[in-house]
Amino acid sequence: MAGQSLSTEQDATSVTGHNLANVNNPDYARETLNMAAAAPVQTTIGPEGEGVQAVSITEVRDALLDAQIQLESSTTGSLNAQQSGLQNAEAYLNEQLSGSTNAGTASNNGLTAYLSNFFNSLQSLSADPTNISDRQAVVAAAQQLASQFNSVQNGLNTVAGNLNQSVQDDVNTANEDMSNIASLNAQIVSAQAAGGSANDLIDQREKLLEDLASKVNYTPNTAANGAVNISIGGVSMVAGSTVADTLGIYNNAAGNAMVMETNGGGPLTLSGGSIEGAITARDGAIANLGSAIDSAAQTLITQFNTIYSAGYDLHGTTNQTFFTGSTASNIGVNSTVINDPTTFQASGSATASGDNTVALALANLSTQQIAGLGNQSITQSYTNGVGAFGFALQSVNDQLSNSQAVSQMLTQQRSSESGVNTDQEMTNLLQYQKAYEASAELVSTVNAMLETVVTMKTE
Amino acid sequence: MFRVSDQSFNSGFLNQVMNLQVQQNNLQNEASSGLDVTNPEDNPSVMTNVLNLQTSSAANTQYQSNIATLQSAATTSASAMNSLQTLTSQASEIAINATSGTASPTQLASYAAQVESLIQQAVQIGNTKDATGNYIFAGTASTTTPFTTTTNAAGNITAVTYNGNTSVAQTDISPSSTATAQVPGENNTGSGPPGLFADSRTGADLFSHLIALQQDLASGNTAAIASTDSPAITQDDNHVITQISANGVMQSALDAANTMATSQNTNIATEVSTQTNANMAQTLSELSQAQTAYEAALESGSTVMRVSLLNFLS
Repeated sequence: MAGQSLSTEQDATSVTGHNLANVNNPDYARETLNMAAAAPVQTTIGPEGEGVQAVSITEVRDALLDAQIQLESSTTGSLNAQQSGLQNAEAYLNEQLSGSTNAGTASNNGLTAYLSNFFNSLQSLSADPTNISDRQAVVAAAQQLASQFNSVQNGLNTVAGNLNQSVQDDVNTANEDMSNIASLNAQIVSAQAAGGSANDLIDQREKLLEDLASKVNYTPNTAANGAVNISIGGVSMVAGSTVADTLGIYNNAAGNAMVMETNGGGPLTLSGGSIEGAITARDGAIANLGSAIDSAAQTLITQFNTIYSAGYDLHGTTNQTFFTGSTASNIGVNSTVINDPTTFQASGSATASGDNTVALALANLSTQQIAGLGNQSITQSYTNGVGAFGFALQSVNDQLSNSQAVSQMLTQQRSSESGVNTDQEMTNLLQYQKAYEASAELVSTVNAMLETVVTMKTE
Repeated sequence: MFRVSDQSFNSGFLNQVMNLQVQQNNLQNEASSGLDVTNPEDNPSVMTNVLNLQTSSAANTQYQSNIATLQSAATTSASAMNSLQTLTSQASEIAINATSGTASPTQLASYAAQVESLIQQAVQIGNTKDATGNYIFAGTASTTTPFTTTTNAAGNITAVTYNGNTSVAQTDISPSSTATAQVPGENNTGSGPPGLFADSRTGADLFSHLIALQQDLASGNTAAIASTDSPAITQDDNHVITQISANGVMQSALDAANTMATSQNTNIATEVSTQTNANMAQTLSELSQAQTAYEAALESGSTVMRVSLLNFLS
């Protein structure tokens, strides 16, 4: 009995030591040794206790909290990916106010400023259409505007490309996580079937489940044997120790990465996680912003060239175009007018070089309400696109802030339940030490009593 | 019983410290830039509004530049017109003196020579260029010499031909109005802007009338001078005075438009400031509070983290 008691207290000390060793392991759930009185033996004077025995080692873990944390990880993962993508796009957009330049007016260096500079250069030209310097200024402003369109749109394409890559990378990581989860399922089932505990393996699996949740929202199903089965979009991915299927990538009509089930080849509709977040950002707010910028550029090209081509340059030449290209990515300026500003077709007359009819009409394009842009001017259409993008990012920021607060709260709750408290473990250690000392004293006492009996016989 | 694990305390402490750092960083950015709206995500509706206001402000500044260009042209034009009016006034005085009844043939010949000189001066005035080298009285045919002359064997001008057109270039001076400083040299079409030297609607035809006066002075035809030339020159003089007055009215309109643009830009600047500028007193106050909370969190956290049961076990 004393020996069993010593062994039990040693086990308890070992469990306490394991807890203390993992005090800084955020994925660790503290363990407790469950003790019970040993089965009594029947004696002539009634049942006589046989001391204490270690029954089991259990970890303190709340399955409901774990499930809530997994869910919130999906939400946070999605919003984090969206925020990252949208903030990258915002940087390329370059519509930032940067401190006061004079009494109360802030400046910006985005497309709005370049559009404004371009149309104002046309106004200057309209006031003196034969002025070579003014013509050069118009061409320079047009080149800067075209360059800015190219830069912003190419920047957004870069962001979309980066999001495609992150989708690919996260799919690979998710597949790796699911493979590891299947492997841990096998080990956990085997350990539990043999009557042992698999607490540390369960901790590892829980960590992987949360990592997986941050990448993709899934539906878990815990089997009776302790395995966790995973399905995504209704498709079984992990069934016990088997990887039933994996996530795959295919390109949609726009050439962007989408997710599918590898075996069946069918597309998967995701509802959370960083993969879904990257796709949402790419195909939502960023695509809409790119569309608004493209729309502004296309309208500028067609409307401007229509007016411009009817004008005459200083040599009486007409019917040329000013802007080249068809989208924000490839808009440019006709090289003829770049090389010779006298070929800018500002006049409405072949013989009157002082005529500014076309230059004035081009300048007034800045405020013209265009049916194809919803009866907005080019600049208004673009700034409204910027505003819509800003609202999308602001919404993501607010949602992410809330989700992070919820995640922190849930994590704190779980840590409160399952985390290691050094003071508590040290107290337990002292307790087990005293019990061990008491059991050791019992051994010494019984030993002394036996010696007395033996000594009596020899005397 | 609520339980605090070592992990939960540490992570909670870190979260609080990180949040306070983020708060301080945002407030410091606000204080140093003077703006509480920097990116579209900060306040999308304000951002859209500010971008549109800045476009309007830049347009107003451009209108003021256009106005300055027009004022320069108008000043040049007014100076030329005033010189022309001096000339027409002299011609009118010569016509009156020639028909006073006391002018001798020698004096009439002298008057004829003076009028010949006035015609040449008028042609020079008609061919005035602005600072950029464009003719100011050619309409929109501003690179074409407006007036060319035909002379006889004696070298006297017998005809002046207008080579410009009757069109003028309008320039934006506000979102809803335009102006021009151009005056065609002649307009005998019966519509459009008035011609300076000739206009069929008023009967003005300065060169023809000066040439007729010169020829009548040279031939001593004082009757024609009295009945035809003198009234015609007087009419031309009145026509030029009218154009000078119109130039003054146009310059006043330019001044008014310039004042309006300045006023609008002041209002826009105020509006943009109101929407984007940080409330510095509030920002600095919040920054001070965040700093105090940050220091308090660090001090309290470090105090609590240093102590555990281990400190009291021998």
